[in-house]
Amino acid sequence: MNISIPYSWLKDYIKTDAKPEAIAEALSLHSFSVEKITDVDDDNIFEIEVTPNRGDALSVLGVARELMVVLPRKGFKCEWVKKDTPRSETKENKDTIDVSISDKTLVPRFSAVIMDNVKYGQSPKIIRSRLEKVGIRPLGNIIDVTNYMMVDRGQPMHVFDYDKILGHKMIVRESSEGEVVQTLDGVERKLPAGVIVIEDGDGRLIDLCGIMGAKNSEVDENTKKILLFVQVYDPVKIRKASMSLGHRTDAALRFEKGIDYEGVIPALWESVGMVEKLSGATVSSDLIDIVNFERPEKLIKIDVDKVNKISGVGINKDEVFSILDSLGFEKVGEDLVKVPSWRYEDIDIPEDIAEEVIRIYGYHALPEVNLSGEVPLKEKDVSFYWEKVIKYFLKYNGFFECYTYSSTSIRNVGEDALKIQNPLSEDMSHLKTSLIPQLLEVVEKNSGFSEIMKVFEIASVYKNSFDDVNKIPDQPIKIGIVTKGVDYKDLKGILSSLAHTLGLSYEKSEEILSSSPINEHGDSILSVEIDFYSLVEGATKDRVYTPITNFNFIREDLTFEVPAGVLYPQIKRIIVESDERIDKLEFKDIYNNYLTFSIEYLDSKKQISSEDTQEIRKKIFKNLEKIGVTLKV
Amino acid sequence: MNNLEDVESIKKYLDDRLDNASSAEDVLKIKLEFLGKKGFISKMLADMSKIPAEKRKEYGIKINSLKDEIEGVIELHSKKYDGSSVSQYSDLYKSLPGTKPNIGHLHIITTAISEITGVFVPLGFTRTRYPEVEREYFAFEALNMPETHPARDEWETFFIDSPTDEKLGRLVITPHTSSGQVKEMLKGDLPIRMLNISRCGRRQIDISHVPSFYQFEGLVVDKNVNITHLIGVLNYFARNFFGPDRKIRLRPYHFRFTEPSFEVDIDCGVCHGKGCRLCKSGWLELGGAGMVHPNVLKAGGIDSEIYTGFAFGWGVERTYMMKSGTKIDDIRHLFSNDLRFLEQF
Repeated sequence: MNISIPYSWLKDYIKTDAKPEAIAEALSLHSFSVEKITDVDDDNIFEIEVTPNRGDALSVLGVARELMVVLPRKGFKCEWVKKDTPRSETKENKDTIDVSISDKTLVPRFSAVIMDNVKYGQSPKIIRSRLEKVGIRPLGNIIDVTNYMMVDRGQPMHVFDYDKILGHKMIVRESSEGEVVQTLDGVERKLPAGVIVIEDGDGRLIDLCGIMGAKNSEVDENTKKILLFVQVYDPVKIRKASMSLGHRTDAALRFEKGIDYEGVIPALWESVGMVEKLSGATVSSDLIDIVNFERPEKLIKIDVDKVNKISGVGINKDEVFSILDSLGFEKVGEDLVKVPSWRYEDIDIPEDIAEEVIRIYGYHALPEVNLSGEVPLKEKDVSFYWEKVIKYFLKYNGFFECYTYSSTSIRNVGEDALKIQNPLSEDMSHLKTSLIPQLLEVVEKNSGFSEIMKVFEIASVYKNSFDDVNKIPDQPIKIGIVTKGVDYKDLKGILSSLAHTLGLSYEKSEEILSSSPINEHGDSILSVEIDFYSLVEGATKDRVYTPITNFNFIREDLTFEVPAGVLYPQIKRIIVESDERIDKLEFKDIYNNYLTFSIEYLDSKKQISSEDTQEIRKKIFKNLEKIGVTLKV
Repeated sequence: MNNLEDVESIKKYLDDRLDNASSAEDVLKIKLEFLGKKGFISKMLADMSKIPAEKRKEYGIKINSLKDEIEGVIELHSKKYDGSSVSQYSDLYKSLPGTKPNIGHLHIITTAISEITGVFVPLGFTRTRYPEVEREYFAFEALNMPETHPARDEWETFFIDSPTDEKLGRLVITPHTSSGQVKEMLKGDLPIRMLNISRCGRRQIDISHVPSFYQFEGLVVDKNVNITHLIGVLNYFARNFFGPDRKIRLRPYHFRFTEPSFEVDIDCGVCHGKGCRLCKSGWLELGGAGMVHPNVLKAGGIDSEIYTGFAFGWGVERTYMMKSGTKIDDIRHLFSNDLRFLEQF
């Protein structure tokens, strides 16, 4: 979460000789990243990306605390100048509020003060200007105080018009499904069950706790009495409610990260002091402070060896404790520290302590060391090698490699495809079950590019069938190929040649190619999808050498007339099996049903003669006659 | 000259004549002189009748072989002047562009993956792949991110409409390669130096985000591994991938699955960390890293008192775009599959 902090505001807390750039650098290197510094008038506003674990730093106070630690390490002076506002006196203790809490876990701490004699008006310029600098619209002297305190202390607050809390009664409870509350922004919100709300004596919902107040109890120009309200809520409940309502307010984002338990009362008195000053109001009640849970002290043992096992350098014990002390970790006894209240949620284990120490010591100050230790001997996944071979093969055969999104529209997949619950758009609602539809779209989209197009992708597809062990869908990797303007036979040839390049046996190659048929889509578009692992399974770098003879082969072309129903592979097999001296047989040409073969005869033991070939030819004719294939005369 | 006994002289004469030839016309003349109707060979054949019958066969063979030889030699010579009619344009011809074989293009993501892999393999890393559609447990819980944790907001996760598994949770498109960490650990094969490059998905689409993308993730688990080793590996990567004079730095960050966690910056290739107009601060953000959280090691069945580890991982596309100065202004081009884009790589 990013926050904006004006330099001028920080000066309420600290006095330093560091320039804004130096402050930004120190924070970035030791604490959290300062994304940019914006110069406004004569001020500088830091935009800081506070990491989710550092809810304590979503405030001027939190950033100032951090600067007190990091600036001196960079050689700058830094002095704490902020003084806490003392508790205000109760002028006239006449007002009360009747609080009932249905479940203590909802509100670990509930505190409030009632004030009378409120004069509604505008805040002074300095308050308004500071709020505007951090992007908050000034809304009058009372509301401004609550917003101001949220930025100043990181403590979200709310203020009610006391007289609009009917019966001066508050019941903190969980919503039941379907209850409606109109929030300050005027929106009617229908609640799911389990949202923390406050009901008044008349059964009205007067607060959507931790997210936004309700319209029916808001402060306006007629307000005379207010109830200032500072709470700690169950962070998980706030988060769930805010997420399910889709209403992510600054207050909710802070509450769900956890609030400084011990910061609640000081923040309350600070705000009371401000309201007194800005509106002339006076305290008219006792402090209401219901502590539903006492948080035990959190003590952690400091293990300097552990710190250095992680850092890789020798940070000595004194420095470890000195860094921790500067961060507010109080030393208890010989080797324990007490976690400060504002870091209570974040620090649990020795590794957390190590992080605190080493980040302040400076990650950038650690040396670079090469990995030593044993190099793991793992079984190599050969599929990566073959993936590369396939990609290069296709590239050098004129194919463009594509990467398409994993999700696509329902028209590209069946009803059975895995559906995305929260798709970005209807066009990306389902996981693809084949690479082909999206590749066809690629060809379609690029139709003006060239008459001949060849594209491919190697990626997973997603099946609605599950792996019993991992309980996840089968996600086989496929090779998808789409061509336009490429002859059927040429594409088939590319696939055979690919299989050959991978070292596939003839049988394996036939098996895979026959189970991955080439589909025709019209407009001279073809597609084929091959299972990657089936192909890789048969791939090998091994080759068997056949001795080269010194005898010459005799080559001749033969043309046969093929009757209907007989196909090439059958003829080929019969010819090849006719005699072992048939060394090579290749398809040469086709005209109607006339097939021309080029045949090479070779005898590895002696020079083959025309008498020999004549004899072989006779065998071929005889065998082919059985299936009705005859020599064309 | 027509004495067949003097075959050698005939050949020599032919050679002389051809040596003096300077054009295709010259060669044609010579051809007629030897092989034409009134040429030497014709005359010799005409002389056949004068040869005694018993020697005629031998004589015929000799003439034929001479004829073949002459034809061959002349043929060879006439090739010299082949296209001699365009000889005056030969410079122009040679200045034409070559006929290129029809070669396609590998996608820039493939190139990036291959380069990244090439850097880590010599350090003993083994490449793996882990599934894109994964259970919540491996994408989050095993990485120390319970369901209610606000840290989960950072991942714009896609959920799949499918029954929830009692133990492993909902089905998601993994938003990061870190979902492979615990799976790799559970193989029980230590030490680990894994390089997982896999497809991920997040619910984002804009100039710098696409809903499908690739991440690479390094994971090292061993005895005595600390932050200085992480810096060592990342600097090795910076030098070998971005250039020998580049270096990284670590800054504090927060991830639930590492403790401590870092953001990794690389120094600007122009000013090397000083700050210039191009980079502003002198450093550019690369991605996240950290020391593996003990809870993650525990989920992977590894004793964190004996073993430590580090992990780093970030987007393949973005990293490559930072390196190559390809000037790709919108990451969505990578998945647009416009052939005019693809043919540039």
